[in-house]
Amino acid sequence: MTDDIILKVDHLCQYFKMGTGELKAVDDVSFDIKRGEVFGLVGESGCGKTTTGRSIIRLYDITGGSIYFEGQRICAGTRTYKDTIRAAKAAYRAEKKEIAAMRKEGADEEELAARTKAVDEELHRVMAEQSANIRSAIDDHKNCNKKFAKAQMDKVRETYAEKRAAESDPEALAALEKEEKEALRLASKDRIMNKIQMIFQDPIASLDPRMTVREIISEGLVIRGVKDKNYIEEQVNRMLDLVGLVPDHANRYPHEFSGGQRQRIGIARSIILNPEFIIADEPISALDVSIQAQVINLLNDLRHELGLTILFIAHDLSVVKYFSDRIGVMYFGKLVELAPSDELFAHPLHPYTRSLLSAIPLPDPIYERGRTRIVYNPIAEHDYSVDRPTMREVSEGHFVYCNEAEFERYTAELS
Amino acid sequence: MEEKEVKLEVNNLKISFRTDAGKVQAVRDISFKLYKGETLAIVGESGSGKSVTNRAVMGILAGNAIKEGGEIVYDGQDLMKISEEDFHRIRGDKIAMIFQDPLSSLNPIMRIGKQMTEAMLIKGRVSQKNSRRDFNTTLKLLKEAMDGAFPNEAEKNKQLCSDFDRFEFKHIALEQAYNRATEAAEDAASDIEDILFRIEKEAYKDVVRDARSAVSRAKDSFDRYVVYDRAEELKGLLKEAAVLLKSSIPKRIGAFFASFRGREREEQADFAALAATLTSIRSILTETLAFPMPNFFAMGYYLTFSQEPLPALGVEEMNTYLHDYLSEKFMSAFIDRAAEALRYSHEAACERKRVAIAKIEELRPVFEAETLEKNACYAAVKALSAVVTEGIDRLEIVKDNLAYTFPTSLEAAVKLYFDGVVRNKKEQDRYASQSKRYEALVAAGKTPSYSVAEMDLVDLKGAREGILSLLARVTENFSAKIAKTDDYHAKADALIDYLKEKASGVVFKVTKSMAKLRALKLMDEVGIAEPRKRFYQYPFELSGGMRQRIVIAIALAANPDILICDEPTTALDVTIQSQILELINRIKMQRNLSVIFITHNLGVVANMADRVAVMYAGKIVEIGTAEDIFYSPAHPYTWALLSSMPDLDTKEKLEAIPGTPPNMIYPPKGDAFAERNKYALKIDFEMQPPMFRISETHSAATWLLHPDAPKVDPPKAVVDRIARMKERGGIHD
Repeated sequence: MTDDIILKVDHLCQYFKMGTGELKAVDDVSFDIKRGEVFGLVGESGCGKTTTGRSIIRLYDITGGSIYFEGQRICAGTRTYKDTIRAAKAAYRAEKKEIAAMRKEGADEEELAARTKAVDEELHRVMAEQSANIRSAIDDHKNCNKKFAKAQMDKVRETYAEKRAAESDPEALAALEKEEKEALRLASKDRIMNKIQMIFQDPIASLDPRMTVREIISEGLVIRGVKDKNYIEEQVNRMLDLVGLVPDHANRYPHEFSGGQRQRIGIARSIILNPEFIIADEPISALDVSIQAQVINLLNDLRHELGLTILFIAHDLSVVKYFSDRIGVMYFGKLVELAPSDELFAHPLHPYTRSLLSAIPLPDPIYERGRTRIVYNPIAEHDYSVDRPTMREVSEGHFVYCNEAEFERYTAELS
Repeated sequence: MEEKEVKLEVNNLKISFRTDAGKVQAVRDISFKLYKGETLAIVGESGSGKSVTNRAVMGILAGNAIKEGGEIVYDGQDLMKISEEDFHRIRGDKIAMIFQDPLSSLNPIMRIGKQMTEAMLIKGRVSQKNSRRDFNTTLKLLKEAMDGAFPNEAEKNKQLCSDFDRFEFKHIALEQAYNRATEAAEDAASDIEDILFRIEKEAYKDVVRDARSAVSRAKDSFDRYVVYDRAEELKGLLKEAAVLLKSSIPKRIGAFFASFRGREREEQADFAALAATLTSIRSILTETLAFPMPNFFAMGYYLTFSQEPLPALGVEEMNTYLHDYLSEKFMSAFIDRAAEALRYSHEAACERKRVAIAKIEELRPVFEAETLEKNACYAAVKALSAVVTEGIDRLEIVKDNLAYTFPTSLEAAVKLYFDGVVRNKKEQDRYASQSKRYEALVAAGKTPSYSVAEMDLVDLKGAREGILSLLARVTENFSAKIAKTDDYHAKADALIDYLKEKASGVVFKVTKSMAKLRALKLMDEVGIAEPRKRFYQYPFELSGGMRQRIVIAIALAANPDILICDEPTTALDVTIQSQILELINRIKMQRNLSVIFITHNLGVVANMADRVAVMYAGKIVEIGTAEDIFYSPAHPYTWALLSSMPDLDTKEKLEAIPGTPPNMIYPPKGDAFAERNKYALKIDFEMQPPMFRISETHSAATWLLHPDAPKVDPPKAVVDRIARMKERGGIHD
């Protein structure tokens, strides 16, 4: 594992409209995922872990914050910037009111004029700054794929320009030109989002029952503009082989497979575009025990073989512990703790994490009889009325969502 | 060893399904017993037949299911054979089920509250009626037995029994009133606690409204035996609270304007004074609730037959006094007589049992003949059914399943034989004619494109042996019963407890408002926030976890005897799962419930199970206590399950089980797991292993346990894990 950050989630907010108010499904969540690691995301149902995954792959338009993939911003929301403008306007109005009051009292006109000017300038500065931010966010959000395709096309042009310079034979040049055209066409359909793929929870619902396995697996390639039948066939067979199925299976329909095999088809579909990053949204929850291990082993093998980075969303903590390098714990839209998996299980700091860990049933009857669940009650546990909590690094790589007093307590606890 | 009461017995159950592709053998000959107050976990993959078994127990098999044989005995009835009408009384009421998919087990167009209370109201009435009926029959049987034991004192017997009946009525009335009042007091206390908390946190919204309802609820708690001498004090406080509340609420006429100022008005209310009053009301309520419950059983007798008023004593002294009074005047005589009656009843039954055994001996030759004779057999079935049924001691509280189901079992066994005779003949004819045609074709020099299907014959010899073994089992059972000597006093006590239990069943009367309160309480218990709001919502408005809680609450509302949980927590996350498991465990302890827990999560099994049955391809491959299964597993499938699940210490590669379960349309000839089993022996592919007994509680079906089998150690992952668990649990070999 390197320190090369492949995905950076920065103050991600995802709100949903709900009746009159808003549901803060994901509220100000930040984390980095390093290349080649498995990042586990756990939490109870409704805590926003799936929403986070879906926001990353742009199934939703995010409300605020940004997500960077390989350094390029792929999602951006405008809410935070708009909030800043709103706050600045409110401050401006308050200041104006004050100035008006002072004028009534007969304060020095000159001083007041200077102050008004300063206030106006300040507002303009903030507005200009934030508007630029908003414009760039919208631009990035909308056009990241186009920009990526353009860059890819430029790259293709560059390589072929070099090749053409080296070539002198007119026939070969014509062939090169044709090749370039084809490569450009493919590059124009290349999307940065293709590098992120998703494996869904329910292998039955996520496969189209009217498509054969070949069509399902090759759909991505076809949409990307690949027309070469032989190449598609070759790729599909390679994928089937990778996930432990045989080429014969390609002509069948999803209903002819068992749950584990269907999940393998789902995995094959997700890796055919050579992604670098996979979001596995509870890929084993719907499977039988004996099959779960097969799928986990498969994902593990693929990860090493293809150099994948995986965001592993699950609620079975023993599986997450086994599979992940680092784990993030979410609670009601907030990321409350983030640590390497061994560290998290050895020294859980946030009371919610403790409660979550105490709830895992282990296949050990004697331990189970003695296990007591810790109840997490956020109102009793934290006093955030004065000091607001933020994500703080308690020890190396171990982040906890806490305020200053708690931070001191946790640090003392660890040392 | 102490003998545990068997709640449910499944014997040689076989179920298959007709499908387009052929007959799927879902359950292939499984037997297990469920004891009272224990949790039996059934573990296996989907398609292993665990759900089908339990659906058979519930009587909700799909339409294409074929019940091929076996019996499910509950409360002296074979659930495979009773009519739908009889099943109706058991399903949901006695045996309840929690399903995996909560949405499909809720009615989408009915409010949650209605769905929760509906069953409570109906079942409440029915169970009250049934309790009353059981009470009456048992008392009547007891009287008859008394008459038998003391033939000259019929008058006195009648007097005793009717006295018992009469004061039991009084007891019922007293206890009912007490229950209602305590419930009200408990509710009011908890509501007040909540309100005080809100006042303390200065969250005044709706405080006044809720306080009003709490005060009115507290008024319901005026029962002589709940509040005792604190009644006056409490009344005064309630009045005070009412006055305080009234002053703080805007007048109805000014409601419109008040809605603008409402907040201010409410904030103006004298919450400090209100809090003080409520605190003292609550302290009185909790104090009175802490009093022990009076002995209503004895009090009922005193109030019915003693002319004098109750002596003024504390609860505990009063209970001793009443208890002594009752024993002296009535109970000791009654118990003595009941004991005698039980002895008489037992002896009479023994006599009849001897007759039955003699009859069985006499008629056995009918079934031993080489070919059975139909009329003679059915006549023998009729005669034997009559004598064996006669031989039952009706006053036994724990019903002896074997004798009760004997008539139906015997008839089914005999029917199996004679149906087989007819079928075999047909089958032989078919085979003969088809092979004749086939041979004719061959003789004519053609090669037929088909082959003649083999004869599918019923094993007549086996069927006959089944009949004989049934007879032998009954004889053995009866002889054991005759040889047994009992402590009749203890049995009389148990009988009276049984009568009391039935009477208290009559006490629990469910009204609509009570049902609502109970539903709210249950919803609160299963962890649903804002139950009052949820009560009026529809299922689609709730999340999956919430829905599952509602389903569990509904299943528990009927107060069942056996609870079948079909993967109830599979769809839930760990925290909720843990809460729900705790809930089921707690309720199991409280109500001495027997639970069948179906799951594939071994962690959950370890948490819940007293005993574990591991199922694979329609058979139980290993059964034992939780310790047996987790600390000394014997079947390769159990090893595979344990090693394929990571626990918190697992670092090495998981040992996945290769392949998939077999197609049950063509079940393998040998051990079904042999295909996926790396420890499989040659014999595993040829012959099905029988159940090998490892210890008193533990047995497994694998040839590895055969004395001639090579010694095989469990996989390293399992051995390591067990060592880790033992270390953690502090067990050393």
